[in-house]
Amino acid sequence: MNVLIVEDEKSLALEVDEYLSHEGFTVEHARTRKSAEEKIFVNNYDFILLDLGLPDGDGFELLKMFKQLKDRDDAVIILTARAAVDDRVRGLEEGADDYLPKPFSLNELLARMHAITRRKHKLESNEITVKGFKINIQNRTVSFGIERINLTRKEFEILNYLVLNKNRVISRTNLTEHVWGDVLEINSDSNFVDVHVKNLRKKLSQHAPTDWFETVRSIGYRINI
Amino acid sequence: MKLQFKLALYNTLTKVAIIFFTGGVILISLEKISYHHISLRLETKKNEFLKSLSSKRISQILAQNESFTDYNILKDDYIMLKQVKYESITTVIDTFSTAQRTIDKSIDMYRILTCKFNYNKRTYLLEVGNTIDAVEELKNTIKGFTLVILIFALSLTLLSDLIFTKYLLKPFYNIIEHKLIRVNDPLNFDYQKVETSTQDFNLLDDSINSLMKKITDMFILEKQFIANVSHELLTPISIMSSRLENLLLHETLSEEAENKIFASLKTLIRLKSIINSLLLISQVENNQFNKNDIVKIPEIITEINEELEDRLEDKDITLTNDIKYEQAIIGNRSLMHTLLFNLINNAVKYNYKGGSIIINDEVVNGIYVLEIKDTGVGMDNAQIEKAFTRFEKLDTDERESYGLGLAIVKSIAAFHKIDIDVVSEKNKGTLIKLKFNERR
Repeated sequence: MNVLIVEDEKSLALEVDEYLSHEGFTVEHARTRKSAEEKIFVNNYDFILLDLGLPDGDGFELLKMFKQLKDRDDAVIILTARAAVDDRVRGLEEGADDYLPKPFSLNELLARMHAITRRKHKLESNEITVKGFKINIQNRTVSFGIERINLTRKEFEILNYLVLNKNRVISRTNLTEHVWGDVLEINSDSNFVDVHVKNLRKKLSQHAPTDWFETVRSIGYRINI
Repeated sequence: MKLQFKLALYNTLTKVAIIFFTGGVILISLEKISYHHISLRLETKKNEFLKSLSSKRISQILAQNESFTDYNILKDDYIMLKQVKYESITTVIDTFSTAQRTIDKSIDMYRILTCKFNYNKRTYLLEVGNTIDAVEELKNTIKGFTLVILIFALSLTLLSDLIFTKYLLKPFYNIIEHKLIRVNDPLNFDYQKVETSTQDFNLLDDSINSLMKKITDMFILEKQFIANVSHELLTPISIMSSRLENLLLHETLSEEAENKIFASLKTLIRLKSIINSLLLISQVENNQFNKNDIVKIPEIITEINEELEDRLEDKDITLTNDIKYEQAIIGNRSLMHTLLFNLINNAVKYNYKGGSIIINDEVVNGIYVLEIKDTGVGMDNAQIEKAFTRFEKLDTDERESYGLGLAIVKSIAAFHKIDIDVVSEKNKGTLIKLKFNERR
């Protein structure tokens, strides 16, 4: 899958590039609105990561222009540090698929991209199997064999996020941000996520051992597949 | 009291005082002068009487009656002669008095000259009187006149004062109304000069205008600053956190290095939270949020209750939702959510294990009041005072805190015109009352 990063901050673009390349994406860069426009005209992308504050124009204008193109299915994720309150609403109204305020976690970006892919193409199976546990992302259910496991919404989110970022340590703060969103001050006690993980593990281990669900001391969690 | 009425009142009072004073002076001097004239006349009469005195006349008078009273037909004046016990009198002493006398069955006030004299080795008492009814009448007339003049002058001056001061102070009130009272956003300030020929008001107007100009400049500067800060600080944080995340992808990393990187990421998130909290406060204070949502309070409380369910469970806290009213306000939904979330979250955070939280509401004098009561660690008065200040933290070893939660609450409450009352007792708990002044 190919990604166009429209970002004037070179070092940030390079970091995103490195991460996504590592994940198997093909990455292209545009640093100005003009060059982004040219690239969008010429190529189809699976993802366009769009910064709103560009040196020669506003990201919204670029989005508007892109939306006028016919037969295009590129997913647009807005990445911005702009403080304007209604930017998020406006971005989604103008047709962006998602909106991530800076600073964002690359893990979170990847999770959102996965979610969009599933939503858009419906190519990937909606079921992921981890050590015999079937995770249905569409119905937000987890089952083992034929048995349904009752998870709370948050427990499901935690499991899903960890599975999406499999084989990678996910810190508690990162997990908290993902599950609870932007609730201010809540980050200050991210250890709270432990309670949920404890309950989640308990529920899963009733069916099969969960040694693949690893606690990384003082940092967070990792699912090894 | 308005300046205009104060001025009118002052003018009226001074005028009353002046009229009373001059009226009093006129009345007193009038009495003095007329008494003086009457006394002179009485003396002349007495002298005439004494000159024309003869034994024959006295005996005739005394023989006629025991006492003799002579008066003219109008009863303006009279003469009375009486023989009294003998005493030796060398000089005739006149004494004056004012008294009532009954003459021919009519009672009148008289100015009376009394003197004793010796005639042929006998002492007689002579009384010469002159009526002062005329003087009294004059006094009454003047009194009445003064009263009428007083009332007339008073109402006239009061009216003219009010009209004049109203005209005079009109620019002043214009300045107050248009430049002070109606101003809630310096950005919409009206710099139009108020028309006036009064120098002082011109000065006042100019000063307010220039002050407002400064405030507006500061406001614009702050808005720009917020926008810049968010961009200029959040972008580098974004670069750093991405870089650290990429570092974690390297498999050769030692465990110690990994831990340090995770710790750095955590610090960055903390930095981000602080910046975002400060930005939120500034944006609220700069009115950058719209206030058009219909916010249903019970709905938000239920939402927050669900969000905090696990925390409540973890600390074994019972949250009782006793909300009775389906209160809705016009405001910003996400801000109201943040406000209530921070308050209820604090009630959880600073509560004891097994404690409780009660959320209650009532309507007092048409004002909706929401109460959040907890059985937590509580605060003393000094702590309550500081609680809503930025970066002020409760002494607690419980968890990390940035001390911005209540500062956010304060700015959101002010944005929605909500008053916050805090009643708290150390180790007993805290009661927070939100008074929604704008009723829907």
